Amino acid sequence: MPGIEYLLEALTPFNIMLALCGVIAGTVIGSLPGLTATMAVAVLVPITFSMPPASALILMGAIYTGAIYGGAYAAILLNTPGTPSAIATTFDGFPMAKRGDGDLAVTLACLASVTGGLVGAAFLLGLAPPLAKVALAFGPVEYFWLAVFGLTLISALSEGNLLKGLIGACFGLLLSSIGIAEISADVRFTFGSQVLLGGIETVSALIGLYCVPVLIDLVATPDKHLKVTHQPKGFRLMEALAISWKHKFNLIRSSVIGTLVGILPGAGGSIAGLVAYSEARRVSKRTEHFGTGEPEGVQATESANNATVGGGFIPTLVLGIPGTPPDAVILGALLIQGVRTGPNLFTQEGSIVYTFIYGLFLATILMLPVGLVIGRYAYKIIITVPKAMLVPTVAFMTMIGTFSIRNSVSDVIIMITLGVIGWVLNRAGYSPSPIVLGLILGRIAEQGFVQAWTIGAATEELGLMFFGRPISLAIIAFICLSLFYPLVRARWIGRRRKVRAD
Amino acid sequence: MQTDTPEEVVRRDVGGMVTAAVFILIAVIALWDTTTMVDADSYVFPRAVAIAMIVFCLLLIAWDLMRPTSGNGDVSAPGASTVRRVSLVVTMLVSTALMPVLGFLVSGFAAFVSIMLIAMYDPWTRFRTLVYPLVCAAFVVGFYFLFAELLLVPLPIGSLFE
Amino acid sequence: MKLMRLAVLASVLAVSAPVAIAAGPDNYPDKSVNYIIPFGPGGESDITARHQQAFFKKLFGEDLVISYKPGGGGAVGWSQLNGMKGDGYTIMGINLPHIVIKPRQKNVGFATNDITGVFMFHYTPDALVVTMDSPFKTVQDVIDYAKANPGKLTTSGSGKGTANHLAQVRFDKMAGVKTTYVAFKGTGKAVTALLGEQVKAEWGYTSIGAKHEGKVRLLAVAMEKRHPKFPDVPTFKELGFDIVSGAYRGIAVPKSTPEPIRAKLSGMIAQINADPEFRKRMENDGMALLDVGYADYQAFVDEKAEVYLEAAREAGVIK
Repeated sequence: MPGIEYLLEALTPFNIMLALCGVIAGTVIGSLPGLTATMAVAVLVPITFSMPPASALILMGAIYTGAIYGGAYAAILLNTPGTPSAIATTFDGFPMAKRGDGDLAVTLACLASVTGGLVGAAFLLGLAPPLAKVALAFGPVEYFWLAVFGLTLISALSEGNLLKGLIGACFGLLLSSIGIAEISADVRFTFGSQVLLGGIETVSALIGLYCVPVLIDLVATPDKHLKVTHQPKGFRLMEALAISWKHKFNLIRSSVIGTLVGILPGAGGSIAGLVAYSEARRVSKRTEHFGTGEPEGVQATESANNATVGGGFIPTLVLGIPGTPPDAVILGALLIQGVRTGPNLFTQEGSIVYTFIYGLFLATILMLPVGLVIGRYAYKIIITVPKAMLVPTVAFMTMIGTFSIRNSVSDVIIMITLGVIGWVLNRAGYSPSPIVLGLILGRIAEQGFVQAWTIGAATEELGLMFFGRPISLAIIAFICLSLFYPLVRARWIGRRRKVRAD
Repeated sequence: MQTDTPEEVVRRDVGGMVTAAVFILIAVIALWDTTTMVDADSYVFPRAVAIAMIVFCLLLIAWDLMRPTSGNGDVSAPGASTVRRVSLVVTMLVSTALMPVLGFLVSGFAAFVSIMLIAMYDPWTRFRTLVYPLVCAAFVVGFYFLFAELLLVPLPIGSLFE
Repeated sequence: MKLMRLAVLASVLAVSAPVAIAAGPDNYPDKSVNYIIPFGPGGESDITARHQQAFFKKLFGEDLVISYKPGGGGAVGWSQLNGMKGDGYTIMGINLPHIVIKPRQKNVGFATNDITGVFMFHYTPDALVVTMDSPFKTVQDVIDYAKANPGKLTTSGSGKGTANHLAQVRFDKMAGVKTTYVAFKGTGKAVTALLGEQVKAEWGYTSIGAKHEGKVRLLAVAMEKRHPKFPDVPTFKELGFDIVSGAYRGIAVPKSTPEPIRAKLSGMIAQINADPEFRKRMENDGMALLDVGYADYQAFVDEKAEVYLEAAREAGVIK
């Protein structure tokens, strides 16, 4: 193993304590809707100035890991992604909680997150420099096709009515264009309002569209929030382990997907979760059950999004280009400490990098006991707290959380407004997920498209630009697969049934 | 056009169609706004999306008129209280709007208590009357501490108190 | 219930009372100062702020608390600046050319002269950047290629109507060539595009040369004299192009901040700027320092504005 001599350095009492505290703090912060990993890391930057660089990295990496995992709690128990990377966890996590399997879902999420984190860190350890080249090979065109691939997930999320899903996605795409356009410096769709200048902030939109409708329905009836079929005893660990082992390929595949998506600068945990979910759904034997509470769905997204932690560090450390938003903050902190990133980091300053990577392994492993314990308490709290306390607490958290993102009161108003719109749309049969998909992927798709178009038009290789590059073609192949495979399979199964029936 | 036979009760997805009509309106407004954009790069994408949206909505309405379904929206549980729902939303909006004036602690606490009352279905026992308000205060102050002091978020002090 | 309300009111007053005590210029600063960055964390503005944070504490004994208010490329923060408390404990980062160009484009909620700047402390000079193994070795190579293949030379840069874009426009005009500018969201993405060879060159800053040392080369810098960290890189002036520009960063306060505090704050930032250790760190990161104090701020901005606005008109960013 490369740099094995630094393993002991990672295991000093100071570093172990940092890893443990970081994971705990990160998990708690990530579970609060509105508080993101980026925020948590940014606050701690001044503290890291007084630490040696490796320890600073371990602390920030631990918080980052914990926060990505923590987002699963709110996603499963409150249908609200605690961080954007947990969006896809709500698809199957919340239905599981509603039918009484919330504790199982939380434990599954913990196991999956640990697996994903370990896989991501392993790639970081062994394959960082070559994988960093992949990050550079992804140009605007590839991002565009990747966003389109993400959008094909709409068909899965539309609850049977594809047209409504497409309309929702278009609405999300329009919402993503509000504000000052990055690619043209024009101001769009603000209608003179100052409030909308900054655009619709993704996390506040998530909270609004997912959580507020749940709250609105919670106050309407005296029924309990989640069904409780048994007394919560233990973590249902054995059960979760059995399920995890049964679907180990899903876990590994999703972790690899997460690592690869994490390598791409600007992609992030949310896209990793969505892509992994899409693939898991496509190849699973229980495709139709996805969205109604399939454990595989939770496993896929949680392992993918934690794998982005390790994956995101690859371009950050090798190229000095942040893979995800928290990486940008961490990079800044490193720069101030005078640490220069680049391939030299692995050879000349190996002590920093390898001590950090082993520390990341440590933090991920520590997440297992920490996550199980915190998860159990989170579950118990949510199901025992009386509604009269639960609703105000969650409502309050969403308001203060949304405010903290950009220190903006108008964001909170937008969040609540979107929440009402989301509730009304639910009534009319429009699910919020396609809208969120459009909102998140819209920016990436548009920027990729316009940039690719500009370069292609300038070099007069427009057709080659969009359809001639190897990575693009691979993604387009997946798009076709994703769209047509279900149809082909349905026909094939139908034919087999007919043959048997005859 | 299909004519309804007396025995069939044709249930149309009214909600879905009305919403689609509203979305068409939104798309038209969006298209109108793109005419104010200077740079070609700005309006290519929104225009394409808005037009696609109008097409999808028209398809939806046409499909629903020809093959009516009952719609797939959430159905309200029996006895759901609209008053409470509206009160919740109004409380959240008003307390947020008042936050710059009254400051975070005051408007937050007021919101917390109000929402608690809106969500209260259990009878008020002596225990509850004593403990609940204290818990409300504890939560509000606790979150304030976590965000303002630990995470250094500049929560509004309130122009009334400055 | 009434007792509850009284208790809450009392606790709220107790918390806000210390804040209400006004600070006179003599004992300013006597508590931490809130430094708002109108961008997201991790960017260039954030990094320079972090450098200043360390020295602020060292020189003045109080904490500089950094918070972020991103949105609209800075517009959200700047439009809210004058609504904030003007007691000297709230300051905000400002950038040129952003605060000059943005108000001219559309109603962004503030006008250039609404911003009360107290100090401009650094700038990142524009630079033409290529990859280490690019066939372009000098600026002349670039011009030759562009003349032979009009429109085909693609360059990346951060945003439109920004320093990068305006530099490209002015260069094109002066050299008599036509190149294609591709806007990316932020310097980081623009550099990635260059390194991945999606574009042939980048209009960036000298700080990119420092950050990605060994992977990129600077062909020329837009400064009066050569940058101390890159003594082999000529200035555009030497090559016959009068381009001295970049992105300037400074600090502003809400309009309601009293004059003595503005002057004192200006002096404080000047002090940080003069610290040799601070200068060394900034220069090592490829930044250039300048000292435009409160007294000279308005004239400085007006002078720069003329150049920026002209270039922006040519670029079609403003009418």
